[in-house]
Amino acid sequence: MKAIDDLLLQFPYATVEQKDKFYSVSVPKENIHETASALRNNDTVPFDFLIDIVGMDYGDTLGVIYILSSSLYPTYILRLKTETPEREDPLLDSLHELWDSAGLYEREVHDFFGIRFINHPDMRRLFLRQDWKGYPLRKDYDADPAINPIPMDNEDLDDMENIPVIEVNHGQKFEHQHKLFEADEYVVNFGPQHPATHGVLHLRVSLDGEIIKKIDPIFGYIHRGIEKMCETYAYPQMLHLPDRMDYVSGPINRHGLCLAIEKGLELEVPERAHYIRTIIDELGRIASHLLGWGCIAMDMGAITAFVYGMRDREKIMDIFEETCGGRLMANYSVIGGVMADIHPNFQRKVKEFIPYMRKMLKEHHLLFTGNPIARDRMDGVGYLSKEKAIALGATGPTGRASGWSNDIRKIEPYAAYPHVDFKEMLRTDGMTFDRYVIRLDEIAESLHIIEQLIDNIPEGDYAAKTKAVIRLPEGEYFQRVENARGEFDVYINSRGDKYPYRVKFRSPSMTLVNTLKAIAVETKVADLIMLGGSLDYVVPCIDR
Amino acid sequence: MFHFEVVTNWIDALLREHLSEGWTLLIEFILIGVVILTVYSVLALILIYLERKVCAFFQCRIGPNRVGPFGVLQSVADMVKILLKEIIKINKVDPFLFRLACYLVIIASICTFGAIPFDKGLQAVDFNIGVFYLLAVSSIGVVGILIAGWSSNNKYTLIGAMRSGAQLISYELSCGLSLLAIVVLSGTMQLSQIVEQQADAWFIFKGHIPALIAFIIYLIAGHAETNRGPFDLPEAESELTAGYHTEYSGIQFGFFYLAEYLNMFIIAAIAATVFLGGWMPLHIPGWESFNGIMDYIPPVLWFLGKTFFCIFLALWVRWSFPRLRIDQLLSLEWKILMPISLINILLMTLLVL
Amino acid sequence: MVKYIKNLLLGIWHLLQGLYIAWLNFVRPKVTEQYPENRGKVFPHERLRGELIMPHNENNEHKCTACGICETNCPNGTIQVISKKVSDEETGKEKRVLDRYTYDLGCCIYCALCTMTCPQGAIAWSTNFEHALFTKAKLVQQLNHEGSTLMKKKKE
Repeated sequence: MKAIDDLLLQFPYATVEQKDKFYSVSVPKENIHETASALRNNDTVPFDFLIDIVGMDYGDTLGVIYILSSSLYPTYILRLKTETPEREDPLLDSLHELWDSAGLYEREVHDFFGIRFINHPDMRRLFLRQDWKGYPLRKDYDADPAINPIPMDNEDLDDMENIPVIEVNHGQKFEHQHKLFEADEYVVNFGPQHPATHGVLHLRVSLDGEIIKKIDPIFGYIHRGIEKMCETYAYPQMLHLPDRMDYVSGPINRHGLCLAIEKGLELEVPERAHYIRTIIDELGRIASHLLGWGCIAMDMGAITAFVYGMRDREKIMDIFEETCGGRLMANYSVIGGVMADIHPNFQRKVKEFIPYMRKMLKEHHLLFTGNPIARDRMDGVGYLSKEKAIALGATGPTGRASGWSNDIRKIEPYAAYPHVDFKEMLRTDGMTFDRYVIRLDEIAESLHIIEQLIDNIPEGDYAAKTKAVIRLPEGEYFQRVENARGEFDVYINSRGDKYPYRVKFRSPSMTLVNTLKAIAVETKVADLIMLGGSLDYVVPCIDR
Repeated sequence: MFHFEVVTNWIDALLREHLSEGWTLLIEFILIGVVILTVYSVLALILIYLERKVCAFFQCRIGPNRVGPFGVLQSVADMVKILLKEIIKINKVDPFLFRLACYLVIIASICTFGAIPFDKGLQAVDFNIGVFYLLAVSSIGVVGILIAGWSSNNKYTLIGAMRSGAQLISYELSCGLSLLAIVVLSGTMQLSQIVEQQADAWFIFKGHIPALIAFIIYLIAGHAETNRGPFDLPEAESELTAGYHTEYSGIQFGFFYLAEYLNMFIIAAIAATVFLGGWMPLHIPGWESFNGIMDYIPPVLWFLGKTFFCIFLALWVRWSFPRLRIDQLLSLEWKILMPISLINILLMTLLVL
Repeated sequence: MVKYIKNLLLGIWHLLQGLYIAWLNFVRPKVTEQYPENRGKVFPHERLRGELIMPHNENNEHKCTACGICETNCPNGTIQVISKKVSDEETGKEKRVLDRYTYDLGCCIYCALCTMTCPQGAIAWSTNFEHALFTKAKLVQQLNHEGSTLMKKKKE
C-alpha cells in the first residue's frame, strides 16, 4: 500500500522487505524507539494494534520482532525487527508507552530470552520463578535439572513484589527496585486455587474495603514450555500442542497451526477439508461461548446457568467424539486436511443440534439476559473504550463489544469463510453486558454459518497427500485465525529443517488478563470476578 | 382433629402425679431439649437431602442417588463423615473466639427453633412476645458470623463477615416490619394466639393486599437473612471461596452448615405460622364438608406442608438467580423493601381501623 | 415515581421469566448418565481414542514388522519397539522381527500419529476408556501377545 511505503521512506536506516501485505522492517536497535513511535503516532496509517512481540535467538544475536497492525487497515501486517549482538546483558528500549499490551509481552521476552527493556516499569519475570537461572528459549540454554532443581519451598513473596527497573541516562545504566504494594495495603490473593479464576491464574489484589485499587496478575503456574517443545518436534508432532493451549476452543487453534504449516508448504488443501474444518471450528466456538456464558453466570452466582451451558455443550462434545475421536482434544485437523472423513451421522446430528441450540439460546436469554439482578450488575461496569481495547490488544468478542471490528474471519477469510455469508457481531458500548451478550449473539451467528455449510460439503478427498517428512522452506510464516477468545496467531520461523527454528503462538487470553488489570480498578470484588468471567480468558493459553 | 396437646398434657400430668414440681420441670426440660435437638438434626438432614435433590432437578441432573434408595441416606453418610473429620487447628486464629463463633450461630438457630409452634401444644417456648423473641434471638447469629469472620484471621472471612453484618442488620428491618404488619392485624405477639386467630381464614387471605405484600417482603428479607443465594454474599463462593467459614473444618463447619439449613427452615416456618395459618387446616367459610375433610389431615402435616412449600420457593429462587452485589443488596433493602413495608404497615393499620 | 414502579414491575416480570425457565428444566427429563449402571448399554463412539491396541488374528498373528515408524513419530516416547533378529528357516537370512511392543498409557497424549503413520495398519485404537489402575507400573503395557508372530502375507 502506498501510504505504508511512504511512511517507511522516513526511515533511511531501515531495511524493508515486502511480500503481499506483509512488511518486514529491520532497524538498528538505537532507532527502534524512534521508528516505533513514528509508526504508532502518524495520521495516515497509525499502527495502533501491537499483535505480538516475538523474541528471537538468531544464534549469535538476540532479537525482537514487533508484529504490528493498524485498526484502519487490518489486513496489512508490519514486522518491526531489531537485534542486539550483546548476549550477556542485552538491553533494548522499551515500547510500553506506545502500546498498553507491550508491557506484558516485553516481560515475556525478558523471561525467556533475557533481554531487558530500558525504562520498562516492571522488569520481573513473567512466567518463571524470579529465582530461575538461565533463559529457556535461548538456543544455548542448559536444561540440566541440577541448575534449576525442583524447588521445595514457596516462592518468596518479597521477591515477587520487588520490581526491578533499568534506566539509562547519558550512557550510564541505573538499576533500582521498588515495591509493588505498600506495607499497609490490604492485599488479597485470588488464586492460584480459587473457585473463579478459570484455571490457575493468580491475582494479587489490593483492596480498600470492597473497592479494588491495584491488580497484579501472576502467571506461569501451569506453564509447559510449549514453544520450546515445538522446537524439538517435527511439524506433525507439534499439532497436538495447540489443542492443549486453549482447551475450550482447541480445534480452532489446531486449525491455525495447520494453516500456517500449509502456507509454508504451499499445499493445496481440498475444499472438503476446508468445509469440514470450518464446521468443526464453529462448533468449537459455540462450545466455548456456551462455557463462557455459563462461567460468567456462575461467577455471578447463578450456578444453574452454568449447568445448562454444560448440558448444551455436551451435545457438541458428542458430535466431536463421533467424528474426531476425542471430546475436549478433538485432534482433528492434520497438515493437508482432516484426520478422517466425517462420520456418516455427522450431518444429521449437526442438523439436529441447530434447532435445539436456537431454542436453548432463547431460554438462556430469558433465564439470564433479562434478569434485573444480572443486568444491574453488568450495566455500567467495566467500561472498555475502543481505543483502549486496541491499545491493549483485546481482540475477539471483548474488542468487538467495544466496537473494534477485529474479526479475522472477515479481515482475512480462511478455510471456508469466504463462501459463507455472516455478520461480524459488533456492539458499541463496551460494557460488561455487551461482552456478555455478544457471545450469545455469536452463537446464533455460528449456527447460521454451520447451517449454510452443513448441506454443501463438497465431495472429494478429505486430506491432501503430504510427504512422509515435512520440511518447511526457509522463511517466516504467520497465520491468524479467529479463536473463540480473540486473535490466535501462529508464527513459525523455519530454517528449512525438519524442526521449526522458532514457534510463537499469540495467546488472546494474555492480553485479556491485561485488560482485566486495566478495567477492574475502582470496581468491587464481586465485579472483579464478573469481569474476569466476561473477558473469558483461559489460563493454559497464557501459560503456553 | 388430633392435637399433640393431648400427648404433652398427658406426660405433664403423669410426671406431676409421681414427682414434685422441681423434678417434673427438670425432666420436662431435659425431654424438651432432647426432642428439640433430635428434631433439629433430623430436619437438617432432610433439608440437606431436599436441597440437593431439588437443586439437581433444577439443573437437569438427578442428584444424590448412590447411598440408599434414591440417595436418601446420602445426608446421613455426610453427617457421619463430618463427625469423623479432623478439626484442623489453624495457627494464627484467636482460639477462643474462633471456637465460640460456631456455637453462637447454632445456639441462635436452636433458640429460634424452640419458639416454632408445630402443633397446638407442641411448642417449647410460647412467650406472649413471641414474634419479638424470634427477631431478637435470631439476630444473635449475626454476632456469631461477625466473630467467625474476625477471629479466623483471614482476608476472605473478614470481607465475608463485614458483608454479612451489613446485610443481616439491614434485612432484619424489613423482616421485622413485615411481621409487624401481621401483629397489627392480629393484635397479639404470641405465636400460638396468632395461629388460633387464623382458624377461620389464614392471615394472607384475611389481611387482603397488605398481608400479601408483607408475606412476599418477609420471604425476600427472610431469605436474605439466611445468607442464601441470591443473597449469599457473605459466603459468595465464587468470590470469597466460602466467606466467613472458610477456615472452619469438621464439626465446627458442620455447625455453620446445620444452622444455615435450619435457618432456612425457621424462616419458612415463621412465614407459614404467621401468614399461612401455621398448623391450621385450610378452611373456607361456608364449605362445611370441605372443612371437615381438611380437618382429618393432622395439623403437624399441615404445618410441615406449608413450611416445605415456602422452602421450595426459597430453593427455586436460590437456584435461578445470580448473586447481588453489595450495593445492589443494600439499595434493594433501603430503597425498595423498606419503603414498601412502611407503607404496607400504614395500609394495614388503616385496614384494621 | 412512575418510572420507579414501572422498573419494579418489569424487574419482577423478568425474574418470573427466569423462574419459569428453571421450572421448565425442573420437569424436563434429566441428562445425567448413570455411569457404572449403564455399562454395556451405552458405548462410546467407535472412533474414540481410548487406548492403543495391536489387533491379533485367531492364529495369534499381528501385522507389525517392527519398522519403528510409530516409535519415531510418537512425540512423547510412549511407544517402544524392541525387535530381535532371527534367521529365516527357509532362506537362512537374518530378519528383524518384533520382540516386544511396549506402550506407556500414562505418557500417551492420544495424538494418533502412530496409527496414522503405521504403514502396515498394525496398531489401532480401542474405545476402552476405563484406564484406572492401582499401580503406575501397570500403565506400561505390552501390546503384542505372548508368542505371537508376524502375519504371513497372502501369496498372490
